[in-house]
Amino acid sequence: MHATRMSPDLIVRLRRALPYIGIYAGILALIAIFLFPILWIFGLSLKTRLQTFASPPLFFWQPTWENYEAVLATASFLPALWHSLLTAGGAVLLSLVVGTPAAYAMARVSFRGKATIYYALLMMRMLPAIAVLIPMFMLFSSLGLQNTTISLVLAYTTFGLPLVVWVMRSFFEEIPHEIEESATIDGASRWAIFLYIVLPLSRPGMMAIGILCLLLAWNDFLFAAVLTNNATQTLPVLLASYSTADSGVDWGQLSAAGMLVVAPVLIIAVMAQRHLLAGLSAGAVKG
Amino acid sequence: MSETALQMTSDAARSPHIDVTTQRTSSRRSRLADVLDRYFHITAVAPTVIIMLLVFGAPLLFSFYLSFRGWTATRSLYGGGLVGIENYRLLLTEPAFVASLVLTVIYTIAVVASEMLLGLAVATLLMKDVPLMRLARSLLIMPMMMTPIVAALCWKLLLDPEYGFVNFLIGSKIVWLGNTTLAPFSVALVNVWQNTPYVAILLLAALRSLPTEPREAAQIDGASRWQVFRHVTLPALRPAILVALLLRTIFEFRSFDNVYVMTGGGPAGSTNLLSIYTYALTFGQFDFTMGAAASWIMLVTCLALCALPILVFRLTEPR
Repeated sequence: MHATRMSPDLIVRLRRALPYIGIYAGILALIAIFLFPILWIFGLSLKTRLQTFASPPLFFWQPTWENYEAVLATASFLPALWHSLLTAGGAVLLSLVVGTPAAYAMARVSFRGKATIYYALLMMRMLPAIAVLIPMFMLFSSLGLQNTTISLVLAYTTFGLPLVVWVMRSFFEEIPHEIEESATIDGASRWAIFLYIVLPLSRPGMMAIGILCLLLAWNDFLFAAVLTNNATQTLPVLLASYSTADSGVDWGQLSAAGMLVVAPVLIIAVMAQRHLLAGLSAGAVKG
Repeated sequence: MSETALQMTSDAARSPHIDVTTQRTSSRRSRLADVLDRYFHITAVAPTVIIMLLVFGAPLLFSFYLSFRGWTATRSLYGGGLVGIENYRLLLTEPAFVASLVLTVIYTIAVVASEMLLGLAVATLLMKDVPLMRLARSLLIMPMMMTPIVAALCWKLLLDPEYGFVNFLIGSKIVWLGNTTLAPFSVALVNVWQNTPYVAILLLAALRSLPTEPREAAQIDGASRWQVFRHVTLPALRPAILVALLLRTIFEFRSFDNVYVMTGGGPAGSTNLLSIYTYALTFGQFDFTMGAAASWIMLVTCLALCALPILVFRLTEPR
């Protein structure tokens, strides 16, 4: 009987390790539940058509990039990628350029109607998007902007602006007043102070909120589905059309396309994790 | 993190910000710069307000107006005239709509409750300071960052009855998404999978910002781990829990993307959430006025759903 002869030292050490074993088992279970589905689809994207339908599923195989090549070679993927980049980039830029001065004014100047504007912005972010989608679609149609990238950029800017104002305002409030005060005494104007002193200081905050706005625009399906057509569709719309097609869905290619859409997002998410967390409470990640 | 959210409530009560008052030296500056400076707050805020009003506010009000208009396929959009609350009456007496409304409310409550409970459990686990925890935390962010369409796609393949991995794992041929009893659960599960990390991360940040002394004191006084959690940690987490609860309620109530891709509202309307119903009504049947009415019912229901936790939290506020 080994156990009885185990040295007391070892028993103490084992007992100390026990909670750790529990914690790590829990973490492993979590990672399995939350990451395995993504990994499995990544695996599918590296399989040939025959291998994807193997039963029981293959766990070891010679990976192939042919699905990615096939997806990138389809006529619709690269244009959709381009439109996704264009709309997301445009929306981020517009939200930041328009929203940052507003956030700064709200942080530093007291004026009438400030609270009203602030809460109205927050309310707008919280309303079910579909309530504005219908008239927004009609608005853009009547302006002759239907199916243009501009309409989508404007729509996504209305997602982003409340967030920019919310997050950047609290960011500006944390910058000490003294810096701006001394600049004021030196005769600098408000706009000059904002542009040359405050903005350079707020780069981290703008990074964080920029990434959140980017995610919002990149991940959206509903607005893109309504406000674009085949010529201007973004990646989520293209993917949805793949998956709702009844026949001839190639699992490998579908997975590869999906991975191409989420890869940038996942890389940014893990790399800019700390920045992201700052803005998460603003309800930013999901549309 | 929760602080930013809480500011929302405390800001109104706070004293006005100290204004950096300027001693104007206008002689040295151009008139334009002077005007820009005097009206700094207006020039800074106006673009945001204008964009939000034109692209968001005006359409919102217009949809309210639309919801009181009639429309028929034979006439132009504005040919229908005002019909009062007829659209609302028709919708609320339409069994399919009422079913969708009930389904959405039940779905939202069930999904949010699961996300909150699981998220809290995950957050307490992620709280432990052991080696590699940082890595685990950043890996767990991944599902919630995923494009919902792609997440739905992944799960559609995983839940495939014939070749899906889930059925391989449990060794059966269950039809997860094509079955009226199972489909709502499958769809809910995918949403819980995707958004639990979000709740966990929110609560984790709140947990980490709590002072450790009260917990340690309670432990020294002989409280069990559960008692410490129940009577010390949980009450301190209330604000963060409320914020997470509200955000999740708002976003689950409008769930569209992944459900639309996985089931399209079917089979037989078993996953026909309000957003999908409204979408089909508006962009499938092109009934814009009825769709507008549906979206306003949705909006009001969502506000009512959000008021519920706020009320409960107010009433049970510890003194």
